[in-house]
Amino acid sequence: MVLVIGGLASGKRSYVRSLGYDDEQMGTRAYDGKPVLVALEELLRDGPLDDAALQDVSSRAVVCCCEVGMGVVPMDPKERAWRELVGRTCAALAAEAKRVVRMVCGIPTIVKDGGAE
Amino acid sequence: MRTLVVGGSGSGKSAYAERLAASLAPRRTYVATMRNDGAEAGKRIRRHRSQRAELGFITVECPDSLVAACHDGGSGVVLVDDLGNLVANALFAPDGTMADPAVVLERLVGEVEALGQSYDHTVLVGNEVGGEGAYRLESTNEWVRLIGALNCRIAASFDEVVEVVAGVPCHVKGGVA
Repeated sequence: MVLVIGGLASGKRSYVRSLGYDDEQMGTRAYDGKPVLVALEELLRDGPLDDAALQDVSSRAVVCCCEVGMGVVPMDPKERAWRELVGRTCAALAAEAKRVVRMVCGIPTIVKDGGAE
Repeated sequence: MRTLVVGGSGSGKSAYAERLAASLAPRRTYVATMRNDGAEAGKRIRRHRSQRAELGFITVECPDSLVAACHDGGSGVVLVDDLGNLVANALFAPDGTMADPAVVLERLVGEVEALGQSYDHTVLVGNEVGGEGAYRLESTNEWVRLIGALNCRIAASFDEVVEVVAGVPCHVKGGVA
């Protein structure tokens, strides 16, 4: 799995398209059978994924997640828990991923490269 | 050479961009993007102007369009600081009404292109404001998305993209990796 992270509007989906996937192959839900999961952060709105859902996510070819923890820690406890969860989930997925790409101004920067497949 | 410099608040991106611009050419034009909308802004603008005059920059005020800077003789280096102000001023009128972001994007991309052709070297200071995800206010999100989209378009055509992290310039595109 390739994990693609980056800020809002940093070019994550354009990068996924450059890997050869079209928008039809990108989904936002667990178990939707699509090779690419986008907006992982929204999937985490209701709390952590259970083991089966996490397994489904990490079995995708590409997972995209918006980085949400770079600013001020929110006052709202729910928001605070959510951004913490997004960060922890990305860290867990990054440990599994063969490659982690962070988008900066539409340019892929390699955070982790596990080498040849 | 055309360089986009990005970084978070207080990362040192402006200081790096000024050093870079000063190293590129003796003829230096500074494009200031703050809207002069009151006594406080006026005071700040005057202070910045005199600081930059010491560094050899001629200042052109361009709060919502780069057009005024595109006809400034056309040589040396131009430094724009920063795109966040420019985008905000182009997107939101002083009365708060919002322009069409897609139209503003295409206009600014065209102006950046024209600016690049007007000078030997172009240094743009951008902003990284998407690192907190979406905001509650939709108008803020429009601004964040527009900045992100503009960054992507500029980065694709420019020679260099530098992310300043804790004052340290990190090349994302071009330069020394």
